[in-house]
Amino acid sequence: MKGRKQGMTRRKFLQGAASGIALGLVSHPQFVFAKEEVDLAVISGEPAAATKKALEAMGGISRFVKKGQRVVLKPNMSFSRTPEFATTTHPQVVATVAQACIEAGAQQVLVLDHTLHRAELCLERAGIREACKNIPGVHILALQERKFFREIKIPQGKVLERVEVIKEILDDSVLINIPVAKSHSATGVSMGIKGLMGLIWDREVFHSQLNINQALADLATVIKPQLTILDATRALTSGGPGGPGEVKKPNLVMAGIDPVAVDSYGVSIVPWYGQTFKGRQVEHLLIAHQRGLGKIDIDQLKVFKEKV
Amino acid sequence: MRKFIQALSLLLFTTLFLFATYKLPDWLPADIYLRLDPLLGINAVFAAREIIPRALWSLILIGATLVIGRFFCAYVCPTGVSIDFLDLLFFRKKKRPGLKAEAHFRKVKYFLLVLFVSAAVTGLSLAFLMDPLALLTRFYTFFIYPMATTLINLVLDALRPIFKALGWVTLSHLHYFQAVYYMSAITLLVFGGIIALNRLVPRFWCRTLCPLGALLSLISPLGIFKRRVNEDCNECMKCQKTCPMGAIPENPKGTLLPECIQCRTCANVCPQNAITFPASFSLGGEYSKIDLSRRGFIYSLAGGLGAGFLAIQTPFTLRQGKHQLIRPPGAIPETEFLRTCIRCGECMKSCLTNILQPCLWESGLSGLWTPKMEPRLAPCDQNCNVCGKVCPTQAIRSVSLEEKTYAKVGTAVLRKEMCLVWAENKLCLICDEICPYNAIVFRPVEGFRRPVVIASKCNGCGFCEQRCPVRGESAIVVVPNGEIRLKEGSYVKEAKKLQLEFKPDPGDDKFLLDDSGFKIGEKTKGGGSLHPEEKPQPNKPKGFL
Repeated sequence: MKGRKQGMTRRKFLQGAASGIALGLVSHPQFVFAKEEVDLAVISGEPAAATKKALEAMGGISRFVKKGQRVVLKPNMSFSRTPEFATTTHPQVVATVAQACIEAGAQQVLVLDHTLHRAELCLERAGIREACKNIPGVHILALQERKFFREIKIPQGKVLERVEVIKEILDDSVLINIPVAKSHSATGVSMGIKGLMGLIWDREVFHSQLNINQALADLATVIKPQLTILDATRALTSGGPGGPGEVKKPNLVMAGIDPVAVDSYGVSIVPWYGQTFKGRQVEHLLIAHQRGLGKIDIDQLKVFKEKV
Repeated sequence: MRKFIQALSLLLFTTLFLFATYKLPDWLPADIYLRLDPLLGINAVFAAREIIPRALWSLILIGATLVIGRFFCAYVCPTGVSIDFLDLLFFRKKKRPGLKAEAHFRKVKYFLLVLFVSAAVTGLSLAFLMDPLALLTRFYTFFIYPMATTLINLVLDALRPIFKALGWVTLSHLHYFQAVYYMSAITLLVFGGIIALNRLVPRFWCRTLCPLGALLSLISPLGIFKRRVNEDCNECMKCQKTCPMGAIPENPKGTLLPECIQCRTCANVCPQNAITFPASFSLGGEYSKIDLSRRGFIYSLAGGLGAGFLAIQTPFTLRQGKHQLIRPPGAIPETEFLRTCIRCGECMKSCLTNILQPCLWESGLSGLWTPKMEPRLAPCDQNCNVCGKVCPTQAIRSVSLEEKTYAKVGTAVLRKEMCLVWAENKLCLICDEICPYNAIVFRPVEGFRRPVVIASKCNGCGFCEQRCPVRGESAIVVVPNGEIRLKEGSYVKEAKKLQLEFKPDPGDDKFLLDDSGFKIGEKTKGGGSLHPEEKPQPNKPKGFL
């Protein structure tokens, strides 16, 4: 074997390296399917523009909404406060999503919430009705009557076996959750998963009888939005959920399919009650993660960031 | 023609009634009928012993009656319209027994008038019991309005499948808020009684009982238009039999002017066309006299003064300082409030959240039907100030939203022995979550985070009392302590003087964290097991690990 060189020649090495890099480049999702494969879009900018970009980054609204479908948007409009209190979703974020749904061919868009304050006042002050009034096919509903709810079973429920939810989400319509980022005196933060409580009838029992964090995870096993768009254009970092409290302006809109991942990222963007937290430190998110409802560690997420 | 005007008037009354709610435009006086009522005006002005600007509107009606006569009863009065209409519905074909000794019965309304006015002079507001406009507004509020809501919702429920099939989203989710009131049944009985009395004679109420009619009839003989019968009269007595007010005496050519409401029924039935209502400036001679016996006058005067005395000075009424009533925001000081309030119920109708309820006996005889807040039923919304806007005597002052926020109605008090957190160490925080003013904070006490009310930030809106999940009585209740009742001047200034602040202020939420000095250790990073029955952690904000 004398004279024959063992191992790698320079030529081979270069060949191998080049093909490796090429393969790497080609197979790297950022380059090939960049928009479809991101876990999370985090867009900084004005509410409407950022929302538009976030939808685009998630592969466009038509990835979620098909022609002729009914869409339910679930913003937070539970409090009769104006948008600057950051207790409700920014009207422009909601209107932008509603407009996109209609443009994608949605037959009908229902924007609904089970409001905590009196319905008329919430609709009037949250500004969402006003923002959506010129979009045909969009209906804003604040439901406060039990007849608009229907009981469903929670097969995987640990503390909650059945729950009454707004009927509209039970048929084949697309559910898009559009929470606002805010602090919450019982659950730490109130974002997408906590926002699901706006779709159920009996909320009191979550507070008075059940472990609210477990119950929220139970709820998340049956109500699964196809998309969660977190409005962090403003964030109520204390005094939530009802405010008044400290309002910060992260100017961010986040979108993702994984409800735990969106919320978890939302926890990281601002200090809550003056303290920096991770998603893992929010009990209901951790429980949801442990029950397989989504990813919680944001450094493992593929995040698309952009400023518009 | 008369029926048309009557229908129009009832329609206007009903429309204004419907408008009396959130969000009533500032320019619309929804209480205009009540303001025009001179009996309510006199009652409030005498009882309160001062001029009430809104009551001056009643001078319009007094002036019009002086000029035209007692037309109000026949054309405008919505109670009169209701009586006429229901009379048509129930008793048109019935043979009525008539009223013997009607002249005596007729005096009753004057006695009542004297009684109410003399009671008002002692400071007791009593005219509301029988004033037709207060009475009808009350009937509308406590009966018609909730009843109509129920019916409309039933119809909507029945049609819902159709709306749904047609794809009418808004209609298929339409539901009107169902208001409920104490004393609906009593109010119905009173009104039903008034209608039932028509079985005896038409407009029994107007002829014999209505104190407003009595007041107007005192001045109506001065009016220009008077009934006149010419020579063609053959004394067939048809007019005398059909007159709904019994205003035509045995001699059909005469007219009891105080009783005549110029409805012109007589002119319409006269076969000879002998009856006209020309303008004339003469007083009606012997028939314009109101024969009120001296004895009756003195009795009713004594009755009014006596009632006033009973209501204000004796054990029949509760000591004003002792009551536990929460009055609406902007209600003037209690003594003046009781004197000024005419118990029309308009505030309770207009109330957005249905927190306002009528009192039965809670503040004694002098407080019947006055509005009180029932925070266990509903909260007082901080964005609504409509109760003051619609109050015709301004017993509840019409104030701006900011002023109203500072018109503190009471203070929330935590009953620790019932509170889920204090008594059972549960993780409840609904009162804190719902409080619009951050008046409830959690503080570490004995190793647990416990809710505490900061009285200087609580204006008594009652959100906490309503939402408290404890069954039955709330573990946090609003008591009148600390209420601000001003007859005039700014609530904001007064509250600032008392160092109260009902404003967005996150200060106390921070206090807890800064003080507790908690650290988030790395140990929670790995997840770790969670127990549903986890102990409350006093040193961290709830929900965080």
